[in-house]
Amino acid sequence: MNNLIIRTTGLAFMVLIIGGLIAFPGVAAAKALNFALSGNPDTLDPHKTSGTLTFQTLKSIYDTLAEPDMSGRIVPALAERWEVSDDALTWTFYLRKGVVFHNGDKLTSKDVKATLERLTDKATASPKAKEFAAITAIETPDDTTVVLKLKEPLSPLLASLASGWGAILPKRLIDGGHDFANQPVGTGPFRLKNWVRDSQIVLEKNKNYWMKGLPKLDQVILHIIPERAVQVQGLLAGQIDAAEFVDKDDLPLLQDSPDVKINKSLTSLILVMSMNCSHPVLKDVRVRQAINHAIDKQQVLDVAYSEGRIIGTFMDYGNAYYKDFTHLYPFDPEKAKKLLAEAGVGKDTTLELFLPQNYELHVKAGEMYQAMLSQVGLNVKIKLVDWSTWISDVYRGAKYDLTVIGHTGKLDPDGTLGGYGTEGRYVKWINPRAAELIDKAKTVSGFENRKMLYDEVLELMAKEGPFMYLGTSFRHVPVRKNVSDFRMTPILDTFDFRWTTLK
Amino acid sequence: MLIISTIVFLVIRVIPGDPALVIAGIDASESDIKAIRAKLGTDKPILTQYVDWIWKVMRFDFDTSMISGQPVTQLILERLPLTLTLALMGLVISIFIAIPLGVVSAVKRWSAWDYLGMIFSQIGMAIPSFWLGIILLLLLSVKIKLFPLFGGGTLKHLVLPAISLGIARAAVLLRLTRAAMIEELSKEYVVAARSKGLTERMVNYKHALKNALLPVITIAGIQLGYMLGGAIIIEQVFSLPGLGRLFLFGVYQRDFPLIQGGVVFVAFIFSFINFTVDILYSVLNPRIRIS
Repeated sequence: MNNLIIRTTGLAFMVLIIGGLIAFPGVAAAKALNFALSGNPDTLDPHKTSGTLTFQTLKSIYDTLAEPDMSGRIVPALAERWEVSDDALTWTFYLRKGVVFHNGDKLTSKDVKATLERLTDKATASPKAKEFAAITAIETPDDTTVVLKLKEPLSPLLASLASGWGAILPKRLIDGGHDFANQPVGTGPFRLKNWVRDSQIVLEKNKNYWMKGLPKLDQVILHIIPERAVQVQGLLAGQIDAAEFVDKDDLPLLQDSPDVKINKSLTSLILVMSMNCSHPVLKDVRVRQAINHAIDKQQVLDVAYSEGRIIGTFMDYGNAYYKDFTHLYPFDPEKAKKLLAEAGVGKDTTLELFLPQNYELHVKAGEMYQAMLSQVGLNVKIKLVDWSTWISDVYRGAKYDLTVIGHTGKLDPDGTLGGYGTEGRYVKWINPRAAELIDKAKTVSGFENRKMLYDEVLELMAKEGPFMYLGTSFRHVPVRKNVSDFRMTPILDTFDFRWTTLK
Repeated sequence: MLIISTIVFLVIRVIPGDPALVIAGIDASESDIKAIRAKLGTDKPILTQYVDWIWKVMRFDFDTSMISGQPVTQLILERLPLTLTLALMGLVISIFIAIPLGVVSAVKRWSAWDYLGMIFSQIGMAIPSFWLGIILLLLLSVKIKLFPLFGGGTLKHLVLPAISLGIARAAVLLRLTRAAMIEELSKEYVVAARSKGLTERMVNYKHALKNALLPVITIAGIQLGYMLGGAIIIEQVFSLPGLGRLFLFGVYQRDFPLIQGGVVFVAFIFSFINFTVDILYSVLNPRIRIS
């Protein structure tokens, strides 16, 4: 009888296993790239979200009028060229000829007009609508010319048009109320074949893409794999060809593999510990400077983040607008203690450090900050909060003393600096001069002219330290050896598979 | 059900976090957020939102997701088959491990089999199922490429997660089976049966086992509910597009209708399972039917 029981159990297992083996998944088509995506995009409608995953996916499906090249400069895309009038109130875009949407419609100026109208329509409730709010009229004198009339000069508009949310949609489908959230239709290098939520997104080559000879791949399969360890094993085993980035802890494992190579590049992150300048203790500029002196920045970058470059102000290291102020705050605990003593801050003050628990790296950095600050005599208590709470309480509500976060660099410096110096930003750093300069730089055109203004802003921000500026970290992108030319658009951090080839 | 609906409705509104902020991203302006709130309907008074929602639920309409814009019912039904299959496979595995081992342990108390069973259940209860899942993945998908590393859709993708779920539950069930069996074996009717001259086999497996199974079935039914819960973590480890991931991201993004619909749905499943177990119980145990 015992045997019977064991046999039945064994049989049950056999049935389960064999059942599974029979349903063996099909082999992927030739020249298909398997990419590991760490989460499911909320929606594939470029106008209704601010989610990075959405834009990372949509970069392959949609094009924009202009786009950033690999150095972060904005270059022509769907628009061959553009002109800005002397008063900077009229922008004229000349569209490329012979561009076709995935549904066969020809791209015309009408599509651009309809797209921008959809984007700014109240009913769309686009989170990015305000970036286009200065547009008062859109004229289409002929099929390939679009004229934008602005109510005030607005230099950052070009960067907005070059970002993922500037994607151009076909007018015919917009008018028909098409479900772009699930069935995106654009002019991009790939078209959506299918999307199984939380499982995979299959992209198929657009044979009529306007860049001749591109894309080189037939198919891109984005596998949604939330667990990093599984991504790493997939890369090692060859089931995954490339992934967005690899955690520091997994680096040695991948570096040891003969099949995987690691591409190292600077991210666009501005890693900081933000300080609430309306807090009675942090209000004192000496305390904030002391905190800047108390942190061994290189050590935090190396241990908590995957290495990087130290910054001394509120701009990412690789940005064209970056200016070096790192000499202001060398690691100097003695000076920190002296500044704190001058400010009269002693053991009796306790600051609360809010850490977003979903960002493991920020939490790790926060723990290091706590230890380093206690070395100079500052009591810091850590509070872990979930992401939604962080956004609403810390970032929106400014109900915090200290917090650790990475601000993503923006294509236009106004995206990074806009609003600082006023009550509106969560660090509550009030500086009318900085606010005035930031407002002015928005209306000025030309890189040199704008840089002069931003240089002064960055200097003010460096000296007064509403943040403890840490640095810009590196990103380690793992790809299999047979993959070449997998690119990531700088600053936007979207995936560009157009030039990618598989050997 | 109404109580559960009310509780979940209130709880997710009391905790911090606003779906409009999730959609808008951290750089949005106050007016953008207002526009999004107006579109989602979260700017209305809470009481109005509550009445609207309950009214819809009573007509089996769970509203649409704030994030993806799809009907919640459709989202749940899309994911249900996978999670349900996973939970049922887990249950089958746990029963097939627990009942035979439990019975043998009880019949041959303090034998090698018994010790083996006890060690297994001790370990099975101690290790978390997600850890077991990762170990199984490393062994059977990476070292020996028997099972796929990620992806869903086929039964093959479900074997490892089902085993991970099943083993932890089997550990509990095994203990219970052993205890129930020992209790039955010490009862007078067993002694009577033995004195009638029935074989040891007849006594153990026909008389005692039948009675011992009653509490086991009750617990196994409840275990199925837990399996659905355990699936949330396991789906994450195995990259499976099931209900667990749907609800987890719903919570992350404060997708109110999705969380509400999800909780009501799970509560419904729980009551349904309990009800089925009660029915099953009376089928197996005529004594309950009489009383």
